[in-house]
Amino acid sequence: MVIDDSRAMRMILKRIVAKLNFEAIEAGDGQEALDLLATMTEVPELALIDWNMPNMNGLEFVTKVRAEPRLREMTLVMVTTESEQSQIVRALAAGAHEYVIKPFTEGAMIEKLALLGLVPTGANS
Amino acid sequence: MSLSQSDFAFVSTLVRREAAIVLAPGKEYLVEARLIPVARQVGAGSVAEFLANLQRKPNPADQRRIIDALTTNETSWFRDREPFTALTDVVLPDLVKNRASQRRLRLWSAASSSGQEAYSLAITLQEALPTGWGYEIMGSDISTEMIKRAEAAEYSQVEVNRGLPATQLVQYFERVGAHWRIAPHLRRNVSFKHMNLTAPLPAIPPFDVIFLRNVLIYFDVATKKSVLRNVARLLRPDGWLFLGAAETTIGIDDNYERVAAGRTSAYRVRSAVPAGAVRKG
Amino acid sequence: MSVETVVSEGDLAEMVEQVWVSYLDPEGVSPLLVTGDDGQATEVHSTVSITGSWHGHLVYACSLKAARRSAAAFLAMEEDEVSQEDISDVLGELANIVGGNVKAMLPAGCFLSLPTVVLAPDTASYYPAAERISGLYGLWDAEPVSISMWQSVKQQEATA
Repeated sequence: MVIDDSRAMRMILKRIVAKLNFEAIEAGDGQEALDLLATMTEVPELALIDWNMPNMNGLEFVTKVRAEPRLREMTLVMVTTESEQSQIVRALAAGAHEYVIKPFTEGAMIEKLALLGLVPTGANS
Repeated sequence: MSLSQSDFAFVSTLVRREAAIVLAPGKEYLVEARLIPVARQVGAGSVAEFLANLQRKPNPADQRRIIDALTTNETSWFRDREPFTALTDVVLPDLVKNRASQRRLRLWSAASSSGQEAYSLAITLQEALPTGWGYEIMGSDISTEMIKRAEAAEYSQVEVNRGLPATQLVQYFERVGAHWRIAPHLRRNVSFKHMNLTAPLPAIPPFDVIFLRNVLIYFDVATKKSVLRNVARLLRPDGWLFLGAAETTIGIDDNYERVAAGRTSAYRVRSAVPAGAVRKG
Repeated sequence: MSVETVVSEGDLAEMVEQVWVSYLDPEGVSPLLVTGDDGQATEVHSTVSITGSWHGHLVYACSLKAARRSAAAFLAMEEDEVSQEDISDVLGELANIVGGNVKAMLPAGCFLSLPTVVLAPDTASYYPAAERISGLYGLWDAEPVSISMWQSVKQQEATA
């Protein structure tokens, strides 16, 4: 699941995860993502989450997901321009598994997903 | 616009002679892209003009600049992951047993480039060594520019994104303006030295672990042999050598044997069996 | 502390380099060449505003051709497939990315607005109530691109 209010960024992220054979569902903010998740029978493996979005921001989304047992298996990665050390600590404390700062290269994103065991061996070369 | 065949040949010969690096044909555009900033820096109008001037009137400073520009490569934190896992799971437990009286380890990141490997080793040891143990890590590189960068220990946003878990970013780095700098408690244990692996190496105490990864691939067989021979002298008898995934000592230097280390391989200097037999006798 | 020392032209240059290597020029063969020509004509302006402990704007400006090229590179499309919406989205995101990184260098307690993208010719005076405090001007494959930071004049007076 790719959650970002920028359509351009969603396209980049979708393109990258498609290379890892993920099929991506898009949402424009945290609330839209939660609404979508509520209708899904199968919980996505991974969510790439922007921080600053209208309606519900990424941090709030992470907090809500962490409090929901049904969504426990979902790996949460913040993908954001928020790059203060204190913000990264906040996101990790709220339950994000990883944190990617924009701008990121395709290789960097794949390496981060590899850290989380989401990249089949040999796929990142 | 692309580099002419003769300019590419000139650059290839230079880096082969000075740094023993083999540039495959087809890398012309890469060479040119890397040399654009160099040409600008020395005030030449173009890469072609810069190379023409240098061929007419050779000068070591500009040759050095070319080598620096071409030996720069992109490095990730914990590159390839497996060697670092093997270090934690296999190598360190073994060394901790063997060095119980010294409680100190020495590691070498050879061809350390901008320093990510050396600092990744520091983070690994920081987390895996028992309390009361110390370590020192030496990084070495042929590029003086890279040594300066590694010593500064400052990395851009893009660089800290590469393979570094966020938990370690916040634990071992501090933000300085637009950059991230390695925290002083890690920096204290890491130093860098200018070193040409193909020349005779300086007299320094040997190491428990040597990371010499993705270096041999650039060298021809004769240079590989001499590098491995040099490195063996700086490896403790029970030490461990890690090469890049595409590299091996097999068929190049029989003094090493390949051993399994976790999900990867490492190399160790063959135990001196005849010497052991003599002692027994 | 003045913001000029916090976010310098060098800092902007570094962010530009990072954006280029990440999205616009991953091979590193087509960098933005700095000319320092702050009078260069631009046709597309993408702005994010920063509020809180610092007030001002970050502006990413370029020619229509450079904007089209940015969008094509960012979205992995051909230049002639790029729509007006693509240009607007990509330029907005570029300003957002640079703005977010700039924010991290400002005093704590700043907020970033959503980007606004205007496709219209303009010259230097975008913000009557703000003054330029730093800027990077250059050419990307012969097309003008700039990134500049503007501080609200009111705040400058207040802190002066």
